[in-house]
Amino acid sequence: MIYGDKNTKVIVQNITGRQGEFHSGLMNEYAQQVGGRGVVAGATPGKGGQQVHGIPVYNTVKEAVRDHDATASVIFVPGAAAGDAIMEAANAGIELVVVITEHIPVHDTMKAIAYARLSGCSVIGPNCPGLLSPGELKIGIMPAQLFSRGRIGVISRSGTLTYEVVDELTRAGLGQSTVIGIGGDPVIGQTFVDVLGRFENDPQTKAVVLIGEVGGNLEEEGAQSTNLPVVAYIAGKSAPPDKRMGHAGAIVEGGEGDAGSKIKRLKKLGVPVASRPSEIPEIVKGLFTNRC
Amino acid sequence: MKLREYEAKKVLRDYGIPVPAGFLIRSADELAPRIHELGAQIVLKAQVDVGGRGKAGGVLKADHETAVPVARDLFNKKIKGLPVREILAEQYLEIQHEYYLSITIDRSKKQPLILFADSGGVEIETTARERPAAIRKAVAMPLMKDIPSFMLRELTGSAPREIDQVINKLYHVFCEKDALLAEINPLVTTPKGVFAADAKIIIDDNALARQGITVNRDLSEREREAERHGFSYVELNGSIGVIGNGAGLTMATLDLIEHYGGRAANFLDVGGGAESERVKNAVRLVASVPSVRVIVVNLLGGITRCDEVARGIIAAGIPQKVIVRLAGTNEEEGKKLLAGKGYEMLDTMDLVVKKAVAVAT
Repeated sequence: MIYGDKNTKVIVQNITGRQGEFHSGLMNEYAQQVGGRGVVAGATPGKGGQQVHGIPVYNTVKEAVRDHDATASVIFVPGAAAGDAIMEAANAGIELVVVITEHIPVHDTMKAIAYARLSGCSVIGPNCPGLLSPGELKIGIMPAQLFSRGRIGVISRSGTLTYEVVDELTRAGLGQSTVIGIGGDPVIGQTFVDVLGRFENDPQTKAVVLIGEVGGNLEEEGAQSTNLPVVAYIAGKSAPPDKRMGHAGAIVEGGEGDAGSKIKRLKKLGVPVASRPSEIPEIVKGLFTNRC
Repeated sequence: MKLREYEAKKVLRDYGIPVPAGFLIRSADELAPRIHELGAQIVLKAQVDVGGRGKAGGVLKADHETAVPVARDLFNKKIKGLPVREILAEQYLEIQHEYYLSITIDRSKKQPLILFADSGGVEIETTARERPAAIRKAVAMPLMKDIPSFMLRELTGSAPREIDQVINKLYHVFCEKDALLAEINPLVTTPKGVFAADAKIIIDDNALARQGITVNRDLSEREREAERHGFSYVELNGSIGVIGNGAGLTMATLDLIEHYGGRAANFLDVGGGAESERVKNAVRLVASVPSVRVIVVNLLGGITRCDEVARGIIAAGIPQKVIVRLAGTNEEEGKKLLAGKGYEMLDTMDLVVKKAVAVAT
């Protein structure tokens, strides 16, 4: 696993909001199943002293960290205040911040990530589903029932498309080591390069599936950076130029960021690219047979 | 959202960047009373939301004699198919040299990226392709209020020193206006100093509210209705309507339609927590597009309740065929609700898409 294990203690920022409350419950259900620590505290300004599913709520991240030694945080704070929440977590000594929030102004994200970097805090997201290491740790909103433990790492810029691919992998008997959604925004904290670096040092992970989208060239940078066998799928082949499809990150940028040229560049790097999600398991299996 | 040239130039002027004297007119009659503000030679620039307008005849030179008839002609023209409703009338600049300046976001470095080139103007993209080294780059630290002087010197090289301050001021515009792009092309030198001859600013859609912008002009009416419901929606031109949850999954569904030889009519991401009311609104919205003959619903999520989705589809009561793929809780109840009512439920996205393509063709 990467980024954390059973012993990782998590706090939830805006645990008193609808999403924060709901997913804190699910995260702790998962922690209970696997014998992990899960969510140990919550933080919402002005709501200190309350409890959510029996989890104590603090006014500040600093107080929550002081009382519970948490090292990870997951943010359900609305867009306008989420950048501030990232910086609060980094300032309180949190090592890993997972940002679920979507629609954060990109200038806020840029500042918050630059600030977090000063204290060595890793940011996953924003606009992401979080991460799940089957049998160990779930931080975020991924539906745990689709996952199975195994040797395949998954890194994705998408949410539900990740679940689609994980479902395909599980049905094909390919369990996962860690599945991580890095987020669909134009500016994100941990990129394919960062996560692949972690997977390289993870003895459990033998191959990695990259799920990318049109826009930018983070996928190619990732594929170039690693020695692990990699399979890719890129969504957005049919995206018309200059049209926004949900994610700011999916803006087609001239000839550079469109799916077709991205796929070409990945193939040039020797990365097999699936033409549809249901092809991924077969290609992954092929990697193993070829290497044996 | 993209600002029009006259709006972008107003922002630049507010930040102390010199722009040519000028004003906006909405009819040729508005020109004569104020033409004395502009000097002997003037330029009339159509304010249309399309690139390459100069080459398409949207920018015309005139003098006091010809200005009104030229403006009238321009109002009667279409520039790349768009009607001209607004014209920016500006003082003509005696250009000595054109530079290129823009600030955008470097996704890999996660920081603002400043681009400066000694040769600006309409050929900047050719320059970028053929002589990439001619475009100098610098990455700014987003926690710093100003761009350090050394960085400005590296960017501008032998260009006039007053350009350094234009770059720093444009950086303030970029940060304070929540811009995804702030571009001055060309930035020109004249006997009277440096001017922003053209300007382009794109504001982050996620920051429109705090920038005081209430209506996103870049969206069509149906796209705006979708936004009110909290959907991401893009209109395309095929016959297969698409509803999915999550941008990636919905995009993958569109790609699969193309893979099997069909054409999607739209992209609609209903977002999280698809209750029956949301599903109903989404189905009705997509069905209201005249070209839609069949609708694919592809919803996946551990917490999506299939019975809720089924109720939403039934409540929408649309004439077109609906083909559904659902994974989530209460799958059996959902299937029972839809059974015998002409809806089709299939287990994988490959199957629903194949079926929809068959129905549409």
